[in-house]
Amino acid sequence: MNEELDSQLSAMFDDELAPGECELLARRLSRDEQLKARWGRYAVIGAAIRSERGVRLNAALAGRVSAVILAEPALAAAHGAHRAAVRWWQPLAGAAVAVGVALVSVLWLRAQVPFAGAPRNAHLTATASVPAAAVVAAAAAGAPDSYVVPRAPAVRAMVPSTELANYVVAHSVFSSPVARRNLLSAFMTSESGTAAEEPPDEPQGNVH
Amino acid sequence: MSTSERFIALTLAWAVAGAALAGEASPERTPAHKTSLESAPAHKTSLDQAPAHKTSLESAPAHKTSLDQAPAHKTSLESAPAHWLERMNRALTTRNYDGTFSHWHGGRVEMLRIIHRVQDGTVSERLASLDGSGREFIRAGPSLTCYLPDKRTVLVEQRPPQESLVGFPAVNDQTASFYDIREVNRTRLNRRNTHVITVSPKDEYRYGYRLWIDDSTAMPLKTQLCDRRGHVIEQIVFASLTLPAHIPDSAFKSDVSTAGFQWLRNESGPPAPTAATLAWNAMRLPPGFRMAARSAQTLPGSADPVDHLVFTDGLASVSVFVEAQRREQADQPAVPESAALGSSSAFSTVIDGHKITAVGEVPPDTVRFIASQLKAEEPPAVSSRRH
Amino acid sequence: MSADASDLSLVRRVQRGDKGAFDALVLKYQHKLVKLVMRYVRNPAEAEDIAQEAFIKAYRALPQFRGDSAFYTWLYRIAINTAKNAVVSRDRSPIEYDLDRNNDESYDMQGRMKDSETPEGLVLTEEIRSTVNAAIDALPEDLRTAIVLRELEGLSYEEIAAAMACPVGTVRSRIFRAREAIDRRLREVFEGGLGRAEELG
Repeated sequence: MNEELDSQLSAMFDDELAPGECELLARRLSRDEQLKARWGRYAVIGAAIRSERGVRLNAALAGRVSAVILAEPALAAAHGAHRAAVRWWQPLAGAAVAVGVALVSVLWLRAQVPFAGAPRNAHLTATASVPAAAVVAAAAAGAPDSYVVPRAPAVRAMVPSTELANYVVAHSVFSSPVARRNLLSAFMTSESGTAAEEPPDEPQGNVH
Repeated sequence: MSTSERFIALTLAWAVAGAALAGEASPERTPAHKTSLESAPAHKTSLDQAPAHKTSLESAPAHKTSLDQAPAHKTSLESAPAHWLERMNRALTTRNYDGTFSHWHGGRVEMLRIIHRVQDGTVSERLASLDGSGREFIRAGPSLTCYLPDKRTVLVEQRPPQESLVGFPAVNDQTASFYDIREVNRTRLNRRNTHVITVSPKDEYRYGYRLWIDDSTAMPLKTQLCDRRGHVIEQIVFASLTLPAHIPDSAFKSDVSTAGFQWLRNESGPPAPTAATLAWNAMRLPPGFRMAARSAQTLPGSADPVDHLVFTDGLASVSVFVEAQRREQADQPAVPESAALGSSSAFSTVIDGHKITAVGEVPPDTVRFIASQLKAEEPPAVSSRRH
Repeated sequence: MSADASDLSLVRRVQRGDKGAFDALVLKYQHKLVKLVMRYVRNPAEAEDIAQEAFIKAYRALPQFRGDSAFYTWLYRIAINTAKNAVVSRDRSPIEYDLDRNNDESYDMQGRMKDSETPEGLVLTEEIRSTVNAAIDALPEDLRTAIVLRELEGLSYEEIAAAMACPVGTVRSRIFRAREAIDRRLREVFEGGLGRAEELG
């Protein structure tokens, strides 16, 4: 195995290779099964380090996708042949552009931190964790700026100002359990940037 | 936990509501219930009385007992569909559960996860958006924490510990006169036997519900909030749900990395009641609503005291917050504002130099109505706090 | 370094009809996508099905991908939508509510393993994980720190260089050497357990 090539592969995997070199290596990667397998194991190593529980590291997923794709027309030959796919996709593009980096960083954050508790590899986290609490600004007292009810022009989807958030939280204690869940759910998800969804098949329908 | 007398007074109102709940356990439920209803005006009277202190503290353990038991109780509502509402409320407030659910409103679907635990009389709850916002709401006993990564803000509010045990509001006989509660169907939902209960409002001041309640656990597997004509406004469906016997503390730790966030707290505790506090009340209320609690408190990040009044019809509740306008705002024209959070409504207006905000899971007109009916009863020998 | 150049070079190839380049994208993101989908469904096998569907949707939609956002942003959004739709339309294929068992067995926050998670799959996953962990433990300190900062913390080479007070070139070399050392152990597991000889050469 060519060590320089593998070193490039490792850098490309981390998106740390110059674009020109990427072009060349991408070409080779797409054809060289051995290189591809190595690339796949790099991904497995990353997943194992992140201790992504419930995720099977030996899943046959890649092989299954590959098999389906093999039966598909190659894309260059199939321009315009995917009407349905286009319609399905377009609202997404707008959202992705509009929401941009902030959403991604949240996703990344959440993808990388297990839902509860520390990763199993304690020695790994110890190496690199940022002392979050130490950085926190103790800006408790003042902050009058954040206490203006926004001039919501219309009735819809008011941006939950800190003030409204306070009210909602204080009120939630006095709601019935179901109403509280509705209220807090709406509060958790308001203005979260996932507009432009296609509506689900179901909700309003099956009413008895 | 610094607890002022005002807060104690508030918890007294709770205790009364709790007593009504506890009353269910006894066969003599109906009279007990009546009493609690009739005593509603008494809440207000008792607020300023010192003995309230004692009562509320004593009644708290009693309430706890009623929750710890899961009694197969006989009530006047047992045969009625309203019984299912009670069972459901009790399941939601006393069981351990962990579920993901879809929340549908206004053509949007979001996924959330809820984890709920009652252990040694302490309620822990975590609600997290699984989609973009990354927001989380965590309740650990008396402490309510709201992570708002999009605002780089964390709100921390301390509540009296007694509150966390209270199932509120309580469905009662009076509720039945403003809602039509029926079991319309028994159906299989995702291989579970469910009772389909509809709660239809009899006027336009409140919303209704359609609930799919699991036969064996009384957990609502699907809930729809409907307007008066039965149109679905908001829906929650559990995608997965488990009832673990044990949930570790780690389940209630937030994922949100809060480095550099602004933390807003109300650690100072509620303000001492002063003579300067105006006694606010509603001149008129929508049919069936009554004041159930009132308190003075500070909210996270603000030193100004806020009056918090709670009105309920037994199912829906509306909070009204009264704050003296700050000097810098006094010159601004008072523009009433409306807001919506899912199916819940908020309305803000200015009355007599005070900002009045009503929030509740009711139609917009109801919060507007209640907010606009607020009036300060001039207390004796008080110069108001107006700047 | 232009962000996303690596993915983009592969995406452009797929758009020009090179299906093999798509394999590389799937291999790279499959675990992250499954992990993402696992927030919506508990069952690993179902999560893999949804991730598979998302990859295929992405492939079909790729002609319209203009590179306005990073590829994985775009891919993640497709996966989220696919997962949501799968969950919402579940009335068709019933959900398991785990309500009957008042189970006291260890509570797994990441969702419990259902029977569809074959014992074989679990054992191998655990074997892979412990192999990787053992290999990391055996690494010299500087290699271990570099790979962990990269994979666990998601830092760029430049950030790692700053943290470790060394040139970027050294970071690149350390991460590569760490990967190679781990990979050497990992290949033995794959060879023993998976029989994917054609991929191993």
